[in-house]
Amino acid sequence: MNLLARLRSWLKWVVKRQRLESDLEAEVRFHLDSYAGELVRSGVPAAEAVRRARIEFGGIESHKDAIRASVGLRWWDDLWGDLQYGARILWKSPGFTSIAVVSLALAIGANTSIFSLANQLLYAQLGVPHPEQLRLLTIIASEHSVVHSSWGSVSPAAGGGTRFASFTYPIYQQLRKESHVLDDIFAFKENIQANATIDGAAQAVRLELVSGNLYEQMGVRPVLGRPILPSDDQAPGTGAVATISEGLWERAFGKSPDAVGKVITVNMTPVTVIGVNPRAFTGAMSVQSSADIFMPLSMIPVVKGELGTSGPLLSSSEIWWVQLMARQKPGVPVEQARAALNVAFSAAIHATMTVAKNDTIPRLDLEDGSRGLNFYGKHFARPVYVLLAVVGFVLLIACANIANLMLARSSARQREMSVRLALGAGRGRIMRQVLTESLMLAAIGGAVGLFLGYLSRTALPKLLLNAWEREGMKVPFDWKVFSFTAGVTLATGVLFGIAPAWNATRAEIGTAIKDGGKASTKKRKGWSGRTLVAFQVALSTMLVFGASLFVRTLINLDAVDVGFRADNLVLFDLNPPNKQYPAPKDIALHARVEQALRDVPGVEGVTLTDIPLLANSVSESDFSVEGAPKTNEPHGEGSGAMQSTVGQDYLSVMGIPIVAGRNFRAQDVEAPQRFSIVNQALARKYFPKQNPIGRRFTMDDSNTKNRSWLEIVGVAADTRYANLQQETPPLHFDLYRQSKDIGGATYVVRTRLKPDAIVPSLRAVVQDIDRDLPLLGVRTQRQQINGTISQERVFASLTATFGILALALACVGIYGIMAYAVSQRTNEIGIRLALGAERGQVQGMVLKEAGRLAAVGVVVGIAVALGLGQLVKSMLYGLRPSDPASLVGAAVVLLGVALLAGWVPAMRASRVEPMEALRHE
Amino acid sequence: VGKQIDLLQGTLDMLILKAVSLGPLHGYGVLLRIQQISGEQLQIQQGSLYPALYRLEHQGWITGEWGESDNNRKAKFYSLTAAGKRQFQSETEKWNHMASVIAGILRSSPEEI
Repeated sequence: MNLLARLRSWLKWVVKRQRLESDLEAEVRFHLDSYAGELVRSGVPAAEAVRRARIEFGGIESHKDAIRASVGLRWWDDLWGDLQYGARILWKSPGFTSIAVVSLALAIGANTSIFSLANQLLYAQLGVPHPEQLRLLTIIASEHSVVHSSWGSVSPAAGGGTRFASFTYPIYQQLRKESHVLDDIFAFKENIQANATIDGAAQAVRLELVSGNLYEQMGVRPVLGRPILPSDDQAPGTGAVATISEGLWERAFGKSPDAVGKVITVNMTPVTVIGVNPRAFTGAMSVQSSADIFMPLSMIPVVKGELGTSGPLLSSSEIWWVQLMARQKPGVPVEQARAALNVAFSAAIHATMTVAKNDTIPRLDLEDGSRGLNFYGKHFARPVYVLLAVVGFVLLIACANIANLMLARSSARQREMSVRLALGAGRGRIMRQVLTESLMLAAIGGAVGLFLGYLSRTALPKLLLNAWEREGMKVPFDWKVFSFTAGVTLATGVLFGIAPAWNATRAEIGTAIKDGGKASTKKRKGWSGRTLVAFQVALSTMLVFGASLFVRTLINLDAVDVGFRADNLVLFDLNPPNKQYPAPKDIALHARVEQALRDVPGVEGVTLTDIPLLANSVSESDFSVEGAPKTNEPHGEGSGAMQSTVGQDYLSVMGIPIVAGRNFRAQDVEAPQRFSIVNQALARKYFPKQNPIGRRFTMDDSNTKNRSWLEIVGVAADTRYANLQQETPPLHFDLYRQSKDIGGATYVVRTRLKPDAIVPSLRAVVQDIDRDLPLLGVRTQRQQINGTISQERVFASLTATFGILALALACVGIYGIMAYAVSQRTNEIGIRLALGAERGQVQGMVLKEAGRLAAVGVVVGIAVALGLGQLVKSMLYGLRPSDPASLVGAAVVLLGVALLAGWVPAMRASRVEPMEALRHE
Repeated sequence: VGKQIDLLQGTLDMLILKAVSLGPLHGYGVLLRIQQISGEQLQIQQGSLYPALYRLEHQGWITGEWGESDNNRKAKFYSLTAAGKRQFQSETEKWNHMASVIAGILRSSPEEI
């Protein structure tokens, strides 16, 4: 109550200051006049009365000050004064101010954006209540496990073996029934591409299929409509309902509430939209991006009929494909749950499938599910940590820079401090003044940094995506990260601003004024500044060296000969829905499209392939040569070959030369004998010193009766396959029209037209054949190749940027410390010159000192860089982490910059006029 | 002329509250009223009255309003607010209590201890 009254009164004073001051004036005048009037009435002469009234009133100004203090205006007035003074000081030295602000802003901006990205990629959790309770069920399988065919990502497990997150649907149902150590287990299948038609417009969408209990278990309520319920997820093929992501709601329905109840088609099947997900809910797969459409798992036949020969997915006990998650039960330790689940899992395997004699039962594991499948977290962990280290170094350099500037500046202002102390300023008052200045500087730097961080918030995720992909990942601006980095840099500024001020105010006033900070001998106090500069140089050396490694990696990758003519190729994907085009209808469709595209004006050649080159895709085949001894080694590295299923013009359209034998011919596709062309790597590996032409091979298991044999008709030159980094693997090209099925394929069109110019006519041709078949992922082969090295590109550009930034900061640091040293030693230099020193000697003296500082930093920096280089070894291409060119380059650049930065002060020192310097105090 | 007493620390606020509790007064009027009630025994430096007045106003215990003085000049009149009335009462009680306790102590004879 009282506080409120005081606040109101204080605000009134701040806002109506002028009026209240004049009121106060009038009130005092009234008092004086009244008293003087009374004195006059009691017989005192008028002039004397006024004098006595004033005397008895006391000092008017000091009373006014007391009044201002009593309404809480004292600190406000002081602060205002400090701010004005601070602004004047900062304005007077624009060089200092702008360097400090830019250092602060870049450090804060860079750290905010990279830390936000890291936070989002590595630590963000699913947008559901209590994500920390979620557990992801995974399988660790050794060789010869019962898992023979799976659909989903597979990765090597930490302790050997293979890690899956996929289960068969019957095992899921068994586990769900038997398990009492977790809450109800829910299932999902993520990242399925499908074609949807919404309001007549066909578009590619990403599906996530979910079990009927997922929404309930996740605890998610749609913002509109209802969630998918257990009753939706019943018999296979039923439950034609869908919830949509907020993104799709906005994109396709303009956020209209009418979206609920609309019927859309997904792969030709009509589906009713029943709800819209909240923005925070991104499904169970990943935190970073959401599927567009969520449907019950019972709808899986719509998107994926059968895989192989094992019947429908929902009843297949062969195919491991569905992902499982559950909430941990309170009070049940993970260890106990894991043990109990393993028992249930083993029982479920025996109950649902026949276990062969040599098959091993995989182990079930419970992983942290709070980040979903956490693909990004695993994929980007190393590069993100490297980036974090890099921006961390930039932050350190910036802090060192600010510390340096502050130190140099406050020692230069020692005299001013002493004068103010001598005039009676309290130490607290001076410290407050310095603090205000530091904070002002920090506030400006922070504001600019905030702006930079905000800008890069949208720019960074785009760098990580391929040019033709829709923006899939959101990085929210992270206030916590911003306040942390801002806090660190501000603290540096304040600390290094305050510490010298503290020293200054403790100094003996007399000596400081006399000394004037211009003692003619070097003093020890310079060391902290020098250490900071050497530290900066060391950090910059590391960053420049790192940048050089990544830039050279990128250059090496760009220079890789891909082995085919990559220019003037336009690529797009066509995914005919399995349900509508079961084999062999898919092959017929592709043959029709391929033929139709050939006639489009501007098209010089058309072909298609299941595995586009340099797209990080591979297809392995169980390659065995006819008549070759049967090898017993298990599948994996060292055996088999890679395969591409292609159109007959593939080699000529791609521009891959034939080195032996012949190319495919038009009549080959009709022939009963299957033909294949192998690359040189395959010929070398399987037919050393032999002619492979005319030999036959098979991809079928040796147990299969009536194995299908392919005859090698030609040898093609080697090309890069999945990516630029790896040497060409053994690879054979087979004709898709001689295959059993192909499904989706990537079309390659050779044309001199720009993609924008040719794509509309390509699209028209495809839609003539099937109106609901969209062209997906339209890109050029060059974009495709660049896409595979986008991470390297991002790295090279980010580290180069930070390297240059570090150089600039170090340059400023060296310049600052040398210029300061020269100005402090003007007197000494004057004496040297007067005693006969050459101007060149003086220059050399200053340059030598700058060089020495830099050399110490460079040596330390390179030593540390060599150690850290090992950590990024796997991210380099064509050079070792101890790349001598980069080492020498970084050292030379840093020394050069140091000498350059020392040059200006050196010239200034050599131009000192001895007489002036000596007279100058 | 009676012997003048220096004001005890902190009691000026209470005297001002008492003075204005009897009716709105301008600053000079407050001074006169205190001197009048105290029988000219209290010595207040005239100027120091004002910081106290502004402090009380700042705390919301009195409120000032501009009006006409007896000699038709504009003057700022202070009056007690509701909060000020409560404050004055509690201060008075505290003061009286303290005065009686201290008086009791001073009155006590050796036998009682």
